[in-house]
Amino acid sequence: MFHQYKRVIEDGDLVIVYVTPDAMRPIFVKSGEIFNNRFGSFRHSDMIGLEYGSKIESHDGRGYVYLLHPTPALWTQVVPHRTQILYFADISFISLHLDLRPGKVMVESGTGSGSFSHSIARTIAPTGHLFTFEYHEIRAATAKKEFEEHGLSNIVTIENRDVIANGFGKFNIADAVFLDLPAPWDAVAAAKEVLRKDTIGRICCFSPCIEQVQATALALDEHGFSEIRMFECLAKDCEVRAVPFPDIAEAINGKKISFKQSIVDRKKRKLDNDSMNDVDDEEPKIIERIISKPADVTRGHTSYLTFAILAPDIVE
Amino acid sequence: MEPMQLEPRLINGGEYVVIRMPSTNSKIVCLKAGSTVSLGKFGSFKADSLIGNTFGHTFEIEKGGTIKPHKQAGFDNADITEANNKEIVDDPKSQKLSFEEIEKLKTKSLAGDVSAQEIIASLTENNESFARKTEFSKSKYIKRKQNKFMKCFFPLETTVYNLCDFFFEANPQKIRGIRTDTLSQLLGLANVYSNARILAVDDGQGLIVGAALSRLDVGGQVLSLHDGDVHNYDVLRYMNLPTETKDRLHTLPWSKFHHKMDAFSEELPENPTQDDINGRERRLRGHTKLSQNLDNLRSGNFDALVVSTNYNPLSVIKQLIPCLGGSRMLVVYDQSKEALLESFAWLRESQRFLNVQLTESWLREYQVLPKRTHPLMTMSGGGGFLLSAIHLASDIK
Repeated sequence: MFHQYKRVIEDGDLVIVYVTPDAMRPIFVKSGEIFNNRFGSFRHSDMIGLEYGSKIESHDGRGYVYLLHPTPALWTQVVPHRTQILYFADISFISLHLDLRPGKVMVESGTGSGSFSHSIARTIAPTGHLFTFEYHEIRAATAKKEFEEHGLSNIVTIENRDVIANGFGKFNIADAVFLDLPAPWDAVAAAKEVLRKDTIGRICCFSPCIEQVQATALALDEHGFSEIRMFECLAKDCEVRAVPFPDIAEAINGKKISFKQSIVDRKKRKLDNDSMNDVDDEEPKIIERIISKPADVTRGHTSYLTFAILAPDIVE
Repeated sequence: MEPMQLEPRLINGGEYVVIRMPSTNSKIVCLKAGSTVSLGKFGSFKADSLIGNTFGHTFEIEKGGTIKPHKQAGFDNADITEANNKEIVDDPKSQKLSFEEIEKLKTKSLAGDVSAQEIIASLTENNESFARKTEFSKSKYIKRKQNKFMKCFFPLETTVYNLCDFFFEANPQKIRGIRTDTLSQLLGLANVYSNARILAVDDGQGLIVGAALSRLDVGGQVLSLHDGDVHNYDVLRYMNLPTETKDRLHTLPWSKFHHKMDAFSEELPENPTQDDINGRERRLRGHTKLSQNLDNLRSGNFDALVVSTNYNPLSVIKQLIPCLGGSRMLVVYDQSKEALLESFAWLRESQRFLNVQLTESWLREYQVLPKRTHPLMTMSGGGGFLLSAIHLASDIK
């Protein structure tokens, strides 16, 4: 599901129902069930046998939705939040920095809502393993159920455990450790124990506040970690528009130009309540130019990413 | 469950490594057994003395080209004192050692006759304003001198991250300006997983192709289209890829895109020489490979289409999207936004794609030191742009 692609939808599959980029929902396809939204009702049995990436019309023909294959990136967008989650930019950067690839063994605490966990599982499958730890009993149970339902139990082992009080309970097995805890400095000793000693061990600590970063860096240094580096990373959206770009001669000649911008977009869907009209039908063609601009408001901070390595002993 | 690799990861003979030098310049070297590695003014060392050791440690070059581990200082305990720079004047006469005396020390240091610590001690003792500096300033001064005089280096494994970081700094045009965070997002957007079939165009000398290969396992493959008769994926060379990984890469010249295969009809001459036989074997292998790659391309349904091209990206997209599967990702990279705008508009209007997005990644590093935590003074101005979209299934009207 998340670490393999399928072509055709089968009974029991997890499918992401896509309405708009901001309106997506995961559903388990089950013959006999019905999915409802403002475009109508959709029979699950109509979905079975369709290719992933297909469009499906509602039963009463009022509209349609798209059926997408689940991926970790999509999951991050639709996962029910039990905690603040990790977003795509941080997930990607941490994965590359920690050199995650098939076969790697990773330790994560806390599991939280499992956003990062799904991505890690995909990246290290099929031969790697993720040991993830969550100290909140209900969250741990919810995440465990999700990993099972998503076919990830072979790759992910979750344990309800307070790693600061009790360590990870494992030693010298991990290629990489990820700490997303309020006090990661208290888990550095445990991280050191769980990391492999026969090769470079990598660690990333994820903290929103600079004070946490400073305490973490000190702890890493005290415990013999090196190459301590800290980054922040953000992915920013560019809005793309087709804008009228007439020569001033038009105005000099007394022509009235409408500067209503048309968003570069496909045909509007049925039942879309947006009141913007299709300008092209009413006025003659104006010279247009495609431009882009940053979004007006954008995320300014997620967390600081503190990386370090644990070097194996020198060969004398 | 048992970890995958139980053998320790030691530095291998013949391996490429990134060598980071104290001035924070880096270079890539091949540790060929028996060879000498030159680090310019920092000296030279015997490759054999590094082979068989571990990554993660700094080494100091000794007289004669051997190396010894150098213990890096952890965080210093510099703190706020009453010292300040109110009365410190920028005066070349502050340093009592003459230019000639310092040059002589440098030469002795290169020959291994005097240690960097001794030089630095001489410099600080003979610097009139040193004692009056703040603790932080003293620490910074010593660090600067260490970088200048210590014959130390830090070897790094040529992971995708380290290679991207290296080229981004040393020769960004080689990799078309893609920065580590942007590259990591490209891999995430394309959903590269162990047995994915990736269709790629990489005019950035193979960094993206190599990054994709590093995320594949048994059953995964990359088919890439390139200019010229052979690819120029120079970056792959430095990745120390095992044969089984290299075998997952299949390449096809653009000039063969519409090629129609004929049956292989070359016959051996009468009384063929060994050269004749070998030559024909080679050409038969080439013919078979080309045929397989074309079949692979034309069978379509690739799990991702990843493009980083010097050509008009929209023209490349239009040629290759028939090969992309349903609910699979198109990801296009370019160093400039303008190069991607026309493609964006076309994808949005095409009705064959969902969630067309254009993003730029922002990355900033911080110095974290006790009482001296702040962003670094310089940062990268840009790391490129990513255009992405979800491809719809082929039966969509």
